[in-house]
Amino acid sequence: MVDQEPSVISRRRTLGGALAGGAAFAAGGLLNGCATRSDVRRRDTADPWRQFAGCTLNFVSENTAPTSAIAADAERFTALTGIHVNIVTLELSALVQKVALDLASGQSQYQIIYADSYQVLAPYADGLVDLREPASDDSLPGDDSDLADFFPLQMDVSGRFGGGDRVLALPYDCATMIWQYRKDLFEAYHDRMANDLGFDPTPGPQRTWEEYYRIAEWFNDNVDEVSYGTGHQAKQHDSLMCDFSNVLFAHGGQYFENGEHIGRFGAVDPGPSALGSEEALAGAEFYSRLLSIADPASTTWDWTGLGAAFAAGRVAMCPNWHEFAADNERSLPGKVGYTTLPSGPAKSANMYGGAGIAINGNTAPNERAAAWLFLKWATSRKTQLRNLTGEVGGATPTRSSIYRTPEVRRAQRRPSGMPTMLTAPAVQQAWKPEYSGLRPKIPMWNECDTAIYTELSRMLAGDVAPRGAMRDARDHIDRIVSRGWVAAE
Amino acid sequence: MNASEDVREPLKRRRNGAASRHVGFTGRMMLPGIVPLAALTVLPFLTIVVMSFSDVRLLGGMRLDFAGLKNWGRFFTDPDMGWFWLRTAGYFALTLGLEMVLGVVLALCVWRLVRGRNLVLSLLLLPMFVAPVIVGLLGRFLTDPTFGLYTWLLERIGYDGDLLGDTFTAFAAVVAMDVWEWTPLIALITLAGLSAVPPTLREAAALDGAGRWQTLRHIVLPSISNVLLVALLIRAMDAIRYFDIIWVTTNGGPANATKIVPVRLYETAFRFFDFGYAAVVGLAMLFASIVVARLFVRMLDRKGLAR
Repeated sequence: MVDQEPSVISRRRTLGGALAGGAAFAAGGLLNGCATRSDVRRRDTADPWRQFAGCTLNFVSENTAPTSAIAADAERFTALTGIHVNIVTLELSALVQKVALDLASGQSQYQIIYADSYQVLAPYADGLVDLREPASDDSLPGDDSDLADFFPLQMDVSGRFGGGDRVLALPYDCATMIWQYRKDLFEAYHDRMANDLGFDPTPGPQRTWEEYYRIAEWFNDNVDEVSYGTGHQAKQHDSLMCDFSNVLFAHGGQYFENGEHIGRFGAVDPGPSALGSEEALAGAEFYSRLLSIADPASTTWDWTGLGAAFAAGRVAMCPNWHEFAADNERSLPGKVGYTTLPSGPAKSANMYGGAGIAINGNTAPNERAAAWLFLKWATSRKTQLRNLTGEVGGATPTRSSIYRTPEVRRAQRRPSGMPTMLTAPAVQQAWKPEYSGLRPKIPMWNECDTAIYTELSRMLAGDVAPRGAMRDARDHIDRIVSRGWVAAE
Repeated sequence: MNASEDVREPLKRRRNGAASRHVGFTGRMMLPGIVPLAALTVLPFLTIVVMSFSDVRLLGGMRLDFAGLKNWGRFFTDPDMGWFWLRTAGYFALTLGLEMVLGVVLALCVWRLVRGRNLVLSLLLLPMFVAPVIVGLLGRFLTDPTFGLYTWLLERIGYDGDLLGDTFTAFAAVVAMDVWEWTPLIALITLAGLSAVPPTLREAAALDGAGRWQTLRHIVLPSISNVLLVALLIRAMDAIRYFDIIWVTTNGGPANATKIVPVRLYETAFRFFDFGYAAVVGLAMLFASIVVARLFVRMLDRKGLAR
């Protein structure tokens, strides 16, 4: 026979103990101090590259072209420094989770971090090392004047946050949205198209988005080689926001007042949203109209889906990331052209989506110096040039001096051994402030981004008119921004 | 010590003695189970409760700063939250309803089979063995507008829309994927129940001149109602945290059409890193699950099956 009373007492005691344990956990004391890490050993050697020989570093990165190239080349770094680097490549959202949890642990399981400007750099800027410190360290190779070789726009967007001179990451990845089009079809139909449309249809920033619309419509009606004139990456998520942003910025719209400054340097408190402006509305109305004549599958494509559809010859043109040039050249050799996106009433805006590599702020001093050696090597002229020509190449250099070398200049014309370099004239132009398109670099961007693409998605589905979509997105963003950023204060 | 204390003291000692004897025996036996259970459930639960009243900061080690009722206040005033719950209820009712109806129909069909029952049953159960993430991936490929088999078939019959790009069809598609995967489980459980229906009852009904429909309605279904209730409880607990297929196929889109509370919870915690608010959403989900479970357990209880 079981007596009920003792079990009540026992349950109370158990709960009491558990509550105490829970409170201890919640207070954070137990979460933080579970383990301590020792620093790596610094050797006494004349070769500054080999001071940390024998140590192991962990690098967590998105599965992008530069990281594939670096991973294939990592043995050279080990041979140069004696440092072994474990490279973990992940899809971006998984990477952001790993980084956030690593920072929350107070440790540094990953000493080197792929710092996406919007999901890592902006929210966790205070958790990253100011790279001017190791760059000016005389005991380490090189000096901080070397930082001037990076494109200024990339250095600001991918490497800095919140103004000031702090350098938190080195530009490492520089994906840029440009106009990709079927050069063969534009050449074949040029005169007919010019006659019918009444303007020279040759793609370039001299074309307007209205003209882009009419060209797309013309392809829909007159050309059998492709199913549709234009395709878009309008599946909800980042891709829809990026695709729309090109049009928004071109029409003079911005997500926030002073949007270009916030896009380039970042801000924790960006102020009220500017999506309610007439310029933003004009952009949204045009985008809605453009998508109505685009390939209907556009609403299920992200950049990969669109890239595959374009390479398969389904659409005549599209705005997409320049890195898809390598796939295009494999599928449609010599048939694709690349240029900056059309202009709107305000400008030609080409979304820049680059990222940097950074060092975890929780690293110990020697570990930090060893990580700096990797950053320095991975973004060096020699390594970036080798990545361009290597078997798993395709990574686009972030150092301006590389574009001046004869071999890279030659590769910008066909036949080219570096297909990505065929986009170099277009992307270099897109990296000038007057052609760039920069989404807001704010810590709470992920949530704002979700609100934006959700409202855009509703607009494209016909559930809400462009004015309603912009108004709702603005209200949503204002609510998010007014809550502030608490995760990494 | 006064008189009343004199009386109470032996009582207290006796009670404590009984308690220690009781804890001494059962407690020692249960300790290896209770300790890990507490570590795995009670501590995280209490931590989440504390988190729901805090701002969770991540830099340089996790830190909780007391935020009072801020997160709870936000939960009750969030203009989107009502829609997420409503959509969750819709999913719940649709998936569970369709799975129950189809599962019972399939089970009755298989039950009637004389030859090849094992083969049919094996084929029928296949979807259940596929991981939900794989079901999502399969669904995504089959409905892909460029190369999807279903898209191609639908085009043949005149539908040229985009299944996962339209709000209504996306909702229907993810419901259909869950129904495809879990209907076999209901069929399997129902089949087990049908096998236990006494043949004498059916024979008696036949002798009384009952037709197939009458036998089904008045003999078979009442006989397996307990089993159906258990199946409903099992699936209900699963359906309320439906996540994998939606995340893989639509990410909650288009235009939030497939965003249900578990998707919102994941997004809040692991995309926006707003762990305080995520804790509130998680606790609300837990509360909803308990309410649903209690409802079904009470129904079982009425039938005398809960103990």
